[in-house]
Amino acid sequence: MLTISDECIGCTKCVKVCPFGALFMEGKVAKVNESCTLCGACLQSCSVNAIDIPRTIGTVDISAYKGVWVFIELLDAKDGKKQIRPIGHELLSAGKGLAAELKEELCAVLIGHHVSGMIDKLASYGADKVYLVENEMLQDYNTDSFSAVMCALVSQYKPSMVLYPSTYVGRDLAPRVATELFTGLTADCTGLSIKNGHLLQTRPAFGGNIMANILCPEKRPQMATIRPNVMKKNPPVAGAKAVIVTVNIPIDKSIIRVKTVKKLIDESHGIEKIDEAKVIVSGGRGMKDRNGFKLLEELADELNGAVGASRAAIDMGLKPKPHQVGQSGTTVSPTLYIACGISGAIQHLVGMESSDIVIAINKNPDASIFNVAKYGIIGDAHAIVPRLTEALKNRKKA
Amino acid sequence: MSSVDLISLRLMLNSLKQYWKKNLSLDFLQELDKKNEYPKKVIDDFYDPNILGVNYLLIPSEFGGIGGNNVAVYQLCEMLGRIDLGIATTAFATFLGCDPIRVGGTPEQNAKWMGRIAAEQMIVAYGATEADAGSDLLNLKTRAKRVEENGKITGYRITGNKQWISNGGVSDLYTILALAPGGASWFIVEKGTEGFSADKHEDKHGIRLSNTTGLALDDVYVPVDHLVGLVEGQGFVQAQAVFGYTRLMVAAMALGVGSEANETAIRYAQQRILAKGPLSEKMGYMHKLIVPHAVNLEAARCFIDRNSKRLDEINEGLQTEGAIAKYFTTEVADNCADDSIQALGGYGYTKDFSPEKLKRDIKIAKIYEGTSEILQMTIQRDRWQEHLKTKGGFYINMAREMDAVHAKNPDVGADSASLCLKGLSAILEVCRTERLTRHQHVTFKIGDLIAKAEVSHSFVIAASQDKLFEGVRFDKETYQAMARVNARETAFNVILDGIKLVTGAGNVDAHALAAQTNLIQIIQKQQQITADMDLLSVKLCEIFNAR
Amino acid sequence: MEIISLIKQVPDSTRVKVDPVTGTLIRAGVPSILNPYDHFALEQAIKLKKEHNAKLTVLSMGPPQAEEVVRLALSLGADRGILLSDRAFAGSDTWATSYTLAQAIRKIGKFDLILAGMMAIDGDTAQTGPGVAQQLRLPQITFCNELKVEGKKLIAKKLIEGGHEIVECIMPVLCTMIMPHEYHPSYPSFMSIYKAQVEKPAELWSLKNIDAEIKLLGLEGSPTRVDKIYPPVSKEKGTMYNGSPSEMVEILIQILKEEEVI
Ligand SMILES: Cc1cc2nc3c(=O)[nH]c(=O)nc-3n(C[C@H](O)[C@H](O)[C@H](O)COP(=O)(O)OP(=O)(O)OC[C@H]3O[C@@H](n4cnc5c(N)ncnc54)[C@H](O)[C@@H]3O)c2cc1C
Ligand SMILES: Cc1cc2nc3c(=O)[nH]c(=O)nc-3n(C[C@H](O)[C@H](O)[C@H](O)COP(=O)(O)OP(=O)(O)OC[C@H]3O[C@@H](n4cnc5c(N)ncnc54)[C@H](O)[C@@H]3O)c2cc1C
Ligand SMILES: Cc1cc2nc3c(=O)[nH]c(=O)nc-3n(C[C@H](O)[C@H](O)[C@H](O)COP(=O)(O)OP(=O)(O)OC[C@H]3O[C@@H](n4cnc5c(N)ncnc54)[C@H](O)[C@@H]3O)c2cc1C
Repeated sequence: MLTISDECIGCTKCVKVCPFGALFMEGKVAKVNESCTLCGACLQSCSVNAIDIPRTIGTVDISAYKGVWVFIELLDAKDGKKQIRPIGHELLSAGKGLAAELKEELCAVLIGHHVSGMIDKLASYGADKVYLVENEMLQDYNTDSFSAVMCALVSQYKPSMVLYPSTYVGRDLAPRVATELFTGLTADCTGLSIKNGHLLQTRPAFGGNIMANILCPEKRPQMATIRPNVMKKNPPVAGAKAVIVTVNIPIDKSIIRVKTVKKLIDESHGIEKIDEAKVIVSGGRGMKDRNGFKLLEELADELNGAVGASRAAIDMGLKPKPHQVGQSGTTVSPTLYIACGISGAIQHLVGMESSDIVIAINKNPDASIFNVAKYGIIGDAHAIVPRLTEALKNRKKA
Repeated sequence: MSSVDLISLRLMLNSLKQYWKKNLSLDFLQELDKKNEYPKKVIDDFYDPNILGVNYLLIPSEFGGIGGNNVAVYQLCEMLGRIDLGIATTAFATFLGCDPIRVGGTPEQNAKWMGRIAAEQMIVAYGATEADAGSDLLNLKTRAKRVEENGKITGYRITGNKQWISNGGVSDLYTILALAPGGASWFIVEKGTEGFSADKHEDKHGIRLSNTTGLALDDVYVPVDHLVGLVEGQGFVQAQAVFGYTRLMVAAMALGVGSEANETAIRYAQQRILAKGPLSEKMGYMHKLIVPHAVNLEAARCFIDRNSKRLDEINEGLQTEGAIAKYFTTEVADNCADDSIQALGGYGYTKDFSPEKLKRDIKIAKIYEGTSEILQMTIQRDRWQEHLKTKGGFYINMAREMDAVHAKNPDVGADSASLCLKGLSAILEVCRTERLTRHQHVTFKIGDLIAKAEVSHSFVIAASQDKLFEGVRFDKETYQAMARVNARETAFNVILDGIKLVTGAGNVDAHALAAQTNLIQIIQKQQQITADMDLLSVKLCEIFNAR
Repeated sequence: MEIISLIKQVPDSTRVKVDPVTGTLIRAGVPSILNPYDHFALEQAIKLKKEHNAKLTVLSMGPPQAEEVVRLALSLGADRGILLSDRAFAGSDTWATSYTLAQAIRKIGKFDLILAGMMAIDGDTAQTGPGVAQQLRLPQITFCNELKVEGKKLIAKKLIEGGHEIVECIMPVLCTMIMPHEYHPSYPSFMSIYKAQVEKPAELWSLKNIDAEIKLLGLEGSPTRVDKIYPPVSKEKGTMYNGSPSEMVEILIQILKEEEVI
């Protein structure tokens, strides 16, 4: 329960920011009523720290928490409209299996402005229910407003778990919500399953050198951020419908403290290309120079794919940074990944291991890349790649 | 005495290491080596108090330095040795050049010159050696004539030639040993003094990044207060006084070179696949080219560490220990560098890998600051006195100490070390009764046996401690196995060599001597040494893994 | 202006390996370092300190040997260094870590800007920065690579999907920093290390120095539990081919057909 101490100076700021109208003035001090969701939006507004939410220490009744939630991240599309980030589809697919096993509902949380048009799409990805919070203050992602909304929703509807994308947005939002609600959050997961009714979260740590399984046995909801491009998407189900729960959470402008002045979107932005491509032809230091990469580009064209690169190749200036695959670049999982002249450092492997088929071409038979390749070709990529492109061209002609 | 605590020391060594990894690649160093070029920019950074300021560790804090104790300085020297023995020599020669002032200078001289060396980031050279006065410094030819005014000495005029002076061509300040009417004395000479010049930079086998030149002094005038200590004839005493720690420091530099070579070979062995497996899994290879060197280097490290700590307590002396440290470590490091080339095969013989350069560089460590042979004589001479004074008790007492260690901790090889020291005492006794030290060969060899036995004694003590000292990178189990291997090997070699030596030189009953030195027991102690070496092969690869 | 920089000591995880048999971390021979993101953030803090004549405090929670990173920060230019170390903090997940750090920050009192690294290269969670911000009810700006202070306002350049964003916020605020691609951290000279040792000893704080609810600390205050740690399973080694380039091309065409790519 939220408490207001006698430090209160009656400034009324908290009353204005409360999205739920749970705060009111009684004489010269603020009071709280039962509509309070413990969302915490008021705490920061109080200049004298009179408001506090004492934490529930000790055991939580975990059986009271039901439902698998997915936070849906929206992206700016080229036309300026919002669209669902592909990871939303991945998380709903992953959540579907978990929900089925637990016999719980799969719910999407859709927060934005004029976004209800996306509900059918979320249903086709498997959502049984969509929590919809719309208002103009929620047009763009903002830490303060979105975390207040998430805290409010979770406190009110008590899901058993919440899955977030492990993206700039997800990693900004999830820790605030988990901290506020005193629950566990597992970072950057690459695997999810159920163990004794709990969510078993698998994640790499130590730069990909180890894997850890993490549980949150005593607190709810269980929260996790999940790495894009590792969960397999289920095929969308046309015509599927979801139950819509519209929640009205008004946001006072004053709670938004960080303001965007300017967005600078990189022109040579190739991320979408490599993380959505079905085929990636990737090159490393072994491709030596720009000409080497030309050979890869020609092969990629022939296979309708995109070109990726190791960090060494990026550092040599053979490709712009958005093409980097790996721990400090992009994680990809295409149907086919062809690695040419890449040694297979762990930081590279973590970014491409979950590709369906890996073919590696390397002249060193001991290169670690061969440990993750279904097919290993020992040889000179400079000789093999152009001949392969040629052969593919000839096949097409024939 | 030291003002530098352990964390500061670690941070300092780390700053140096990061500078090394960022700026001093093997290619870069080999290129300078090829061009026989002194790395001015690098040395400037080393001396710059805002970049590295390595030299300040060697300058007492009262003069604007940091005043690191011997433990700090030896660890710095080790790291410098790892980086490049030429750069290490450059830094160390400044230290050496300051020594006559630090040891023999008046308080005013110290304040003035050490203060300037700190404030002006001066590079200093130590000018003792001459064409005919290297090991035999007594044969010094450079003269200092008094300049007198009204019967009062106002200055000196120095004439002569120095040879192989490190930093000779690049120093700001020189300490020069010359013969004054009252005997050999140190003089302070500034760069640019009239009549003073440096010869060309030598074309050397190794440490080619270190500037080495001759110096010509033609009637060079210095005022009287440039005579170190203001009293003539103290030169040799002042030079001798510092041999304890200067030799410990050269030993530490050699330790750095040897360790670098050894670790390079260990990493290489894990990557090189031959006959379906990495070399690191080939027992014969590891037991011949890798493990013995790793053990010897670790023995050297503990001897240097132990005596640096002792020297921090007693401030001066330990000349014999300094000689042992330098003799033992430089020999071990040289052998290790040689075998590291072997361990890399054809690659080791090229300039693309470090052992080639390490091997050329390390050689000088066996020559300067006392050649190995001179040190063998020194060690023998000093300990012989002890042996006579104590009627053979010197090593018997050390052996008793080992027995006590063994009673508490049977896993560190103290039993073998005890047998070794007892046997050594017996061999020295035969030398006395048979008057064998009249053979120079015997004195050399005895110096060698003493060095090995005393190092092994230190290793056993270090391995029996509850907490291993800072700088040891092994766990206790591994470290104790190293001490065991070393103690057994040493006992075997010292006693066998000793018996051979006295049998060859004198009229000795070999059977009786073998019994007296417990030869069979020492051989029996060799049990399990192969298993220990196998363990060490595995552990070395774990710690110095290929990544 | 008062700046607090959060720093963590980590094993150099690029050199950590897992024993394939026991599944435990092999940390032998792996040096402990200042988390590189924190190193970069610290350098930014030092820059701001110089520009705005600010006071810089570094705070680290960790075992006693973590004093080394605090001393490194002091040598690089921080004015005050605090190491929070107590058995009671052991086993903290990011919730408990954030809580403990936040309680220590409350004790430090005044601050305008808190800097954290984007993530620590051992735990790799990137959760502690936002966690501390939420504990302290502060606004946060994550994934920053440039910071500027103008009066009471902080202006940051931060990463967003596909590019950057310039944002601003009235201080106090917490920022988490990413680091440039080719980042070479600065290290202090021997003299600055020595001066820091003499003039600015690190403060060692235990549980007694902060006001904290015992039940929210360490293992007890940590909702998450590590169930198991194991080496990444390497996929089964596939088929290897060796031969002339044209033979290899034939094989590749065969593979692409079998896998229904063409
Ligand atoms: C914190 C951190 C983050 C990192 N993040 C990433 C990341 O996101 N992505 C990434 O890729 N790396 C990353 N790295 C770097 C990584 O450790 C490696 O250094 C890098 O992946 C090596 O790139 P490479 O395989 O192209 O080069 P190399 O390791 O130099 O390998 C070149 C390979 O080419 C082969 N070759 C040479 N010539 C030919 C030829 N003619 N034909 C065929 N083969 C040939 C060689 O046998 C060799 O195997 C990171 C490192 C760190 C420390
Ligand atoms: C690169 C380099 C840097 C140097 N830097 C400095 C410096 O900064 N300052 C400085 O003052 N000096 C310096 N030296 C000189 C160095 O200290 C001497 O070279 C060394 O003391 C050996 O003297 P020497 O060269 O005259 O050899 P010698 O004394 O002629 O020795 C030749 C050989 O005879 C052996 N030997 C000598 N005496 C005996 C004996 N009585 N019985 C049996 N064998 C014997 C020696 O061990 C050696 O093997 C440097 C030398 C080099 C090569
Ligand atoms: C294998 C493994 C997996 C783990 N997985 C999780 C998980 O999924 N969820 C979870 O909650 N915990 C997890 N933990 C625990 C977590 O690593 C610790 O709580 C750790 O104290 C902080 O997390 P981090 O290392 O990820 O730091 P991050 O949150 O990545 O650190 C970000 C920044 O916060 C600051 N910071 C972090 N720690 C400190 C500190 N001790 N002192 C000062 N500043 C600091 C630094 O500025 C740092 O750059 C895991 C631990 C291990 C060993």
